[in-house]
Order: sequence, then structure tokens, then C-alpha cells
Amino acid sequence: MSRYDRTVRGGLLAALLFYGVSLTAQAYAAPADALMPIEKYTTPKARGLANAHRLRLIEFSEQIYNCMPWLAVYPGRLGFPKYKDSADDDRYLSMWIWVDQRENADFAAVPQDRRASAMFSRYGVDMLRRMAALSDVVDDSNLSGLSVVLSWLKPGTSRPGQKPVNETLALFVDKATAADFLAKRVGSEEFVSRAKFNLFDGESLVGRVPLEVWEDSFNTTYKVTNYDPPKGAKCQ
Amino acid sequence: MRAWLSLASFLGGIVLLTSACATSEEWSEWRGHTTHFASGTHGVFSLRNNKDGSNPRVARTDVDAARAENWWGKAITVSPEQIFQN
Repeated sequence: MSRYDRTVRGGLLAALLFYGVSLTAQAYAAPADALMPIEKYTTPKARGLANAHRLRLIEFSEQIYNCMPWLAVYPGRLGFPKYKDSADDDRYLSMWIWVDQRENADFAAVPQDRRASAMFSRYGVDMLRRMAALSDVVDDSNLSGLSVVLSWLKPGTSRPGQKPVNETLALFVDKATAADFLAKRVGSEEFVSRAKFNLFDGESLVGRVPLEVWEDSFNTTYKVTNYDPPKGAKCQ
Repeated sequence: MRAWLSLASFLGGIVLLTSACATSEEWSEWRGHTTHFASGTHGVFSLRNNKDGSNPRVARTDVDAARAENWWGKAITVSPEQIFQN
């Protein structure tokens, strides 16, 4: 082989390696990557939950990834954290979801707290329902509650030359209240009053806003036109 | 000389590999319509039809690729430390 051939082959090999690394980097949002790494938990209780339910959470993440492409779980944000200001070690099954939200005049026209209500009603309640259905996880005595965090594009912030901003609603609720709410034994007002939640505008805390929760079947009925879930995916 | 040839081959390889994946008009058009409206009242996932009237099929990996090109992960967002403790 000539020196030239070796040089060309080396260059192409380097290109392939570079491309392979790029693909790996882009795959960061794959289902298993949604799980919080076990080494990041700070207490034995949390690590025990993460170890015990790892496979179940991967299945859960796969279902969202394959069947609801309009949502994405933030990498490392499906797991068992505790509430920020919690003095004890109460652990929540928690999922931080990004909603693929495009600029929309109707959505932009409603007040911020109403947008939070719409997003929680549409996606948050269904995610709580799906998490509550993970009976082996929810029945774990070390689990205190459920948590849904939703982020979406703040209307009017995705214009060229402007850094987009996400609005984020983070909600935590104890297991009993979640179960009673989903079974309609507790109304939405009572559910909201018992839940701990905050709204954030970008990085700024807005706080506890008036939150209304209503029926919205979008997330359970919506089908993406022309979308083919991967073979073997079990979508419900 | 060898260094220049290596660099040229390297860059050429990148162009060849990336262009093979993302240059079709259909892909470009689809990429521009990847997000859906999720207002409080309506939701649709817009995919533009091809000129021949057919609709492109979309796989989950297409969604990932489109998001990588978009602002996914780049928007100003609250930090996890403001919400959780691990």
C-alpha cells in the first residue's frame, strides 16, 4: 500500500470515527439515558429504589419514547429524587418531560398560569396516571409520592436572534392523593391544594400559581400522522 | 503534505457521510414541520405532504435528528437543583 493510500485511508477512518462519536452524542435522549444514574443518588433509600425498579423504568421510558414522540424525557430525569426543600428523605417517582411545543397564537394569548394549567391538564395528569399504573414501583414502601415536571417553549421566545425560554411546572404529590385524584375520589381543587408545585419562567421562580385541572384526553388519543413506532413497541 | 491530505480526506469524509443523511428536499421540508401545537385547546402534528401527494413516513429516529437540529436542549430552563435533591 502506498503512502498516499495509507494517508487517505487514515483520513477516512478518522472521519468515520468522528461521525460515530457524533451519532453517539446525539443519542443522549435514548430511553435508558432518561434514567437518573444510580451513582448520583445521595441516600441508600434512593439507590435502593433505583436499583429495584431500574428495568421497569426503562420499559416505561421506552413506551414514552416510542409511542409519544411529541414528548421527550430529559436525560437523567426519570428517577426517585426528593423535593428540593425536603428535610427528610421522602422519595418521589419523578419524570421531567419536555413538550414539543411550537409557537401558537392561541396558546400565546392565554396568561402564564393558564398555560401551566393547560399543560398539566393535557400531559401532567396522563403522566401521573401512567406512573400510578406502575404498581410494583408505586407499592414500594420507600416511595412517598409521584412527581411530574413539564417544560415547554414560552410563547414569543423562539424568534431568530433570541435565546428561547422554557416555562416549567414542577409538581409533587403524595401517593394517596394521586391515587384518589386519578380514581376521582378527590376533586381537582383538593388535589391542587394538597400538591406541592412551582412554576418557573426560564430560570426564574414564578412560584405557586393558580392551577386549574380539567379533563383532557389528548395524550391518550392522539396519533401522529405518518409516524411509525419502532417494531415491537407496545403503545397503549 | 501528508497532513494536508489527511485533513482533506477527513473533511471530505464528513461531507460525504452527513450529506448522504440529510440533503433530500423531503427531509428538509419535514424537518421544518416537526413540532406540534399543544395549546390548551388544539393539537396537531404537521407534516407537509410531498408534491406527488404522498406522505413521508416518520420514524422515531427522525424525530431525534430533527430535534438535534432545533433548539431542543438549548432553551433557557430552570436548573434541576431548583426543583430536586438527588
